[in-house]
Amino acid sequence: MATNLYVAEKSRPLQVTSLPNISLLESMGLRAGSRVMIQNRYALGGPVLLRVEDAYSVALGKEIAVQIGVVGVA
Amino acid sequence: MILLMGNPNVGKSIFFTELTGIYANSANYAGTTVTYMEGRVTIGGKGYTLIDVPGTYSLKPTSEVEAVAAQFMERGAQAVVCVLDASNLERNLHLALEIQGYGIPVVYALNLTDVANRHGITVNPALLARELDAPVISTVAVKRQGIKELLHTLDTVLEASEKQNCPSAEACRRCGSCPRKHIALDIFDEKDVWARAKEITLRVSRKDSASPGFLDRLGDAMLRPATGIPLALLLIALAIGVVVFGGRGLRAVALLPLVRQLIIPFFEGLFTRFVPEGVLLNILVGEFGVFVISFEWILALIFPYVLLFYVVFTFLEDTGFLPRMAVLFDNIMRKLGVQGGSLIHMLMGYGCAVPAIIGTRASTGRKERIVISAAICFAIPCISQIGALVTLLSVFAWWMLPAMLAFSLVLVAITALVAGRLVKGRVDPLLLEVPNLLMPTAKSYGRKLLTRMKHFLKDAEVPMLIAVFFAAILAETGLLARIAVHAQPLVSVWLGLPEDAVIALILGIVRREMSVAPLLALDLNSLQAFVGGVVSLLYLPCLSVFAILAKEFKARVAIIIFGLTIFVALFTGGAINQLVLFFMRG
Repeated sequence: MATNLYVAEKSRPLQVTSLPNISLLESMGLRAGSRVMIQNRYALGGPVLLRVEDAYSVALGKEIAVQIGVVGVA
Repeated sequence: MILLMGNPNVGKSIFFTELTGIYANSANYAGTTVTYMEGRVTIGGKGYTLIDVPGTYSLKPTSEVEAVAAQFMERGAQAVVCVLDASNLERNLHLALEIQGYGIPVVYALNLTDVANRHGITVNPALLARELDAPVISTVAVKRQGIKELLHTLDTVLEASEKQNCPSAEACRRCGSCPRKHIALDIFDEKDVWARAKEITLRVSRKDSASPGFLDRLGDAMLRPATGIPLALLLIALAIGVVVFGGRGLRAVALLPLVRQLIIPFFEGLFTRFVPEGVLLNILVGEFGVFVISFEWILALIFPYVLLFYVVFTFLEDTGFLPRMAVLFDNIMRKLGVQGGSLIHMLMGYGCAVPAIIGTRASTGRKERIVISAAICFAIPCISQIGALVTLLSVFAWWMLPAMLAFSLVLVAITALVAGRLVKGRVDPLLLEVPNLLMPTAKSYGRKLLTRMKHFLKDAEVPMLIAVFFAAILAETGLLARIAVHAQPLVSVWLGLPEDAVIALILGIVRREMSVAPLLALDLNSLQAFVGGVVSLLYLPCLSVFAILAKEFKARVAIIIFGLTIFVALFTGGAINQLVLFFMRG
């Protein structure tokens, strides 16, 4: 089911479907089609910690995470 | 000219240090190098300038720091050493392919192969070299592995390039016989670059399942809120404990006896033998004499705290603890109008404001830079000042030091909130790569610590000695007494301090700790010590900070911050004094 990264299920493989127009995201390697997994989520509007392509971890502030569309993958 | 390039936090600065012998600061988080460094390196008997270019994910810059990298590539070079992180090859290859597009000869250093192995990743350098059509050397820079081979390969590449006589990027792209031409022209489209990076990664690397080691498990635990927050608070408490109690111990046991029983008596004996009694002798070895207070203040008062701060901070910085703090406390930082990554610069400010303000260049927006710099200037004492404050306050009640710390944190919050409202623009949300937790090697840790202490002594020595000399002249010639009379309404009536405390306000302009050090000799009561501490905490940062503010922003920003810090310091200190006196009388 399509959702955004901020509310997506933790520890489950996800695929990025859409991203906001932030060039740093793409140059960091996060783009449509990237396989990701939420490692941690932080309370009180904190960030989401994401494992990208099982290679590296990126922390994304809430304002960015809510704009990233993802779907669950097997 | 040879450029040293790569993604952030792949070890470029370690290569720079190893190749040039010039120490470049490095740490385990993205954005340590915010400005380029240059040094000389000899390759094949010829001298070249090596530039340590700030790390960048792409040659399409997203911050001031990344723009520097793109500008260097545009200008061209004789060769590029592109450092790749073997544990995260695909993302690193994206930049590698972008660099290839410029047609400059490249040697790839496949670094962090030890970390990659830890994660079950193996990369075949020979296959990678074939895919990239350029030499690839496997390295572990912190252990000096592969450095000789890299230099040798660089020599071969430079020699071949000079023989081919293709000095510029533009010339290279137009040259029909150049084997790089197809690479430079065919895959410059962004999607193709990523596709090519993925394709190469799949061909040259293999990932086997590897059970996480202790450092990986600890690194993960430090990122989980339930375990990470208590661990972070524990580490901060430990760090404060080591610096404050260790500093007090070192001062009391070793440095104070050394200064008072050996160094000062030596100079007193020396000068009284040759200099007749009078103003000159007093300036040399009187109560405020140059050869008395320079050792009392610099060696016995400040040095132990500076040393222990950098012992602790260097370790935390090199392990990868700081970006973990940034993630854990991003929610609190957002409430203050900044983002978690700013916490790293604030913590750096507890060492010295100058590198902390320069470090904010890694921020993606001007507003964030100004807000953080303001918080550092207004409310974050540097370690030299902390050392002086610890000595001033610890002779009174135990709670005075924690109270000052709490007061400082409240001030940080107020400054960030107020500056956030005054400065136009927006602060971008957190977007931070979290590095693997690493254990620093003894060699790199020792070298960094030694360099930091050398820099401290070199950078702080001149302004400190100016302040000490100025203090000696003021105090021993009677000038101070005359100024004190005029400043009496402010210093004594409003702030409730002894008249002579005006010297702290004068010297505090030069260096932060000098706004506290003279108070130690004034026999203050607890209220006076707390008020003096508050004034010092809020008082204007040192002259070096003024210079860096004017350089990084505008002279106007520096003048505004300086004016406001003086006003707020004197107003708040006086208000606390008057309020306490009012309630005591009541």
